[in-house]
Amino acid sequence: MLVDRLLRQGAMTELVGPLSSGRTSLLTLCLRDVTGRGALAALVDTDHAFDAVGAAAAGVELRRVLWIRAEGHRRHALKAADLLVRCPGFALVALDLGESPPRLSVGAAYRLRLAARRSGVTLLVVSARRVVGGAAALAVAARRDRLAWAGPGVLPRRLAGMRSEFHLVRKQGAPSTAEAERVWWTA
Amino acid sequence: MVDGVSRVACVRVEAFAAAAVERCEPGLREQPLAVVTGAPPATRVVEANAPARAGGVRAGLSDAEAGVRCPGLVRRPASADAEAAARHALLEACLSVSPRLEDAAPGVVHVDLAGLHALFGADADIAARLRRQARAVGLEARVGVAATRAAAAVAARVGPTVNVLPPGGEGAALAAVPLAALDWPEPLAATFTRWGLTTLGDLAALPRDGLGARLGPGGLAAHDRATGVDRTPWVPWTAPVFWEEAQGLEWELGTLPALVPVLDAVLGRLCARLAAAHLVADTLEVRLALATGGHHARSVTLAAPLSDAGALVALLTLEIEAHPPSAAVTGVAISAHVVARRAAPGGLWQPPAPAPRDLAGVLARLTTLVGRANVGAPVALDSHRPDACSLTSFVVEPAEEHARSARATADAVKPARADGAIAEPTSAAASPGKPSDAAAGAEPPTEETPAGALALRRLRPPRAVTVEAADGRPLRVSDPAAGTLDVVMCAGPWRISGDWWDTDVWARDEWDVALGDDTVWRLAHNRLTNTWCLDGVYD
Repeated sequence: MLVDRLLRQGAMTELVGPLSSGRTSLLTLCLRDVTGRGALAALVDTDHAFDAVGAAAAGVELRRVLWIRAEGHRRHALKAADLLVRCPGFALVALDLGESPPRLSVGAAYRLRLAARRSGVTLLVVSARRVVGGAAALAVAARRDRLAWAGPGVLPRRLAGMRSEFHLVRKQGAPSTAEAERVWWTA
Repeated sequence: MVDGVSRVACVRVEAFAAAAVERCEPGLREQPLAVVTGAPPATRVVEANAPARAGGVRAGLSDAEAGVRCPGLVRRPASADAEAAARHALLEACLSVSPRLEDAAPGVVHVDLAGLHALFGADADIAARLRRQARAVGLEARVGVAATRAAAAVAARVGPTVNVLPPGGEGAALAAVPLAALDWPEPLAATFTRWGLTTLGDLAALPRDGLGARLGPGGLAAHDRATGVDRTPWVPWTAPVFWEEAQGLEWELGTLPALVPVLDAVLGRLCARLAAAHLVADTLEVRLALATGGHHARSVTLAAPLSDAGALVALLTLEIEAHPPSAAVTGVAISAHVVARRAAPGGLWQPPAPAPRDLAGVLARLTTLVGRANVGAPVALDSHRPDACSLTSFVVEPAEEHARSARATADAVKPARADGAIAEPTSAAASPGKPSDAAAGAEPPTEETPAGALALRRLRPPRAVTVEAADGRPLRVSDPAAGTLDVVMCAGPWRISGDWWDTDVWARDEWDVALGDDTVWRLAHNRLTNTWCLDGVYD
């Protein structure tokens, strides 16, 4: 199961990819998995982009998600993630840095990693490019593989789904491999 | 036993006005204290604590005379707020022992002991428990136990601090009490002295009708008190709908560090009351009296119900720091909206949740950081309007409630997933795009199980774009941020509308478009204004 490998207790995982690569779908899947087993998740939404209605339809227990909207203030988002990751009890703290992730110093990244390890919180950083570097225990890159369209006639009437490909970019304590996993998302 | 009460305890706090002040300033307990009223030079002593009484200070003395009699006398103005808070505190402390109370007077509570013996033991044990509860809310009380309220009230005034009159022995016990040990109206006391009465037994021996004929209602009440007979009905007291603690200040506080100890003291008393009643605070409302004569009110909604004074002080401090008062503070009043304390935090197999104190602290800091409107749990609104969601307060549900809600959600989600399965027939690629787009329009892989739903990253607010369309289908999108992009593939329209019965009517066509930069967007055409916008990007 992709989510099980992605979310490690007390570790920091980085999920990167361009728009329409499937990274937000994977983030939603993680939220569904965490809230579905009764645990609490926190989402720091830098760009106020989280689709709560779609997430609820996807099975996310919204009542067990703490949503922090930073309204584009990246420093606020980092500070909020720093506060949350020091609060034991959240199974997942997701930091969605959006399309313009800030530069994060090595010291700041390792402080986040240390805080996550101490509190046992899983920190998932989602962004367009890598920002935490070697502090991440696991780094996964997403890219779009293919789209599927549906409709009765010649012209498609709706987007049926999308297939994403997730590549393992970094795994702490293991050599880099060409390991990849393809995942279908239904629209 | 007049009205069915078999054993009654009377909880009494001596010099209640002084005790209320001592409750606000515990350091004054060992010092002679006088509660005064009136402007100088007409300031008069209203009440004095035990050390002051030992120094000769009595109610009614002028401030100057009291100062002469007791040189180290500390004076405090009478505070109606503090007395009311102390009165409620005493009642609530007694309520934690017995559900049946009577608020007899300020600082005097009658407690029905019926049915408590199986829980707490003998009369003396219950009385000791009442005394402990009163001490927990900052009040030193005397407790008398007897068969009637009148006898219990006398027992609470004389003898040891816990004075239990044995059942059936009330008459003999009361008979030995000297009249001088009790408070009487001045004319009655003078009459009793003139008649040569010295004890309650002497008074009880007089004929009741004769006392009534000579002394009126006061005489009848005095005889009832001497014989230990209750003739008034029991007036039960119920818990108030508000929980409030207040403290007036003789000095003005202009800085937050100076205000914090006052908040700490007031919240400490409030939390002691909550703990006595097995309640926790859900919302705090603080009202600061200002030197300008105005008030500064703030409301703090707690993320998790709390009764921990330290955490509440930290939260209130953060709130006042974020919204400071406009002038120096001369008084503090804090009220709490309370909820019942949960007996169990969660099940053995329930995933751990943040401690309420930690969670409340983190949420308060997040609120200070990004604003109250940007922190909470998302909730989908009951509407078909796109992006119909809002934020509600984040509350950690207990395990059982979560299991129920999870089952309900799973039931609701199942049909949606079935509808969204990608096993339905697809079209061949009818795209004007590049060869790679033909691959994008290939048949869905029915052999692969979808992992989840394709998520949408929303643009808030939706970004207005210019769209070139042919036969109603978008061909090219001009976006001020990304430039002009060709539509590689599009699907739609999904026509939706709503609120046509209201002024906020909306109607739109939604398109899923794959653009030339390898992104897939949701494009919306507003049919009312004939404008296009980008709702979000599939990601």
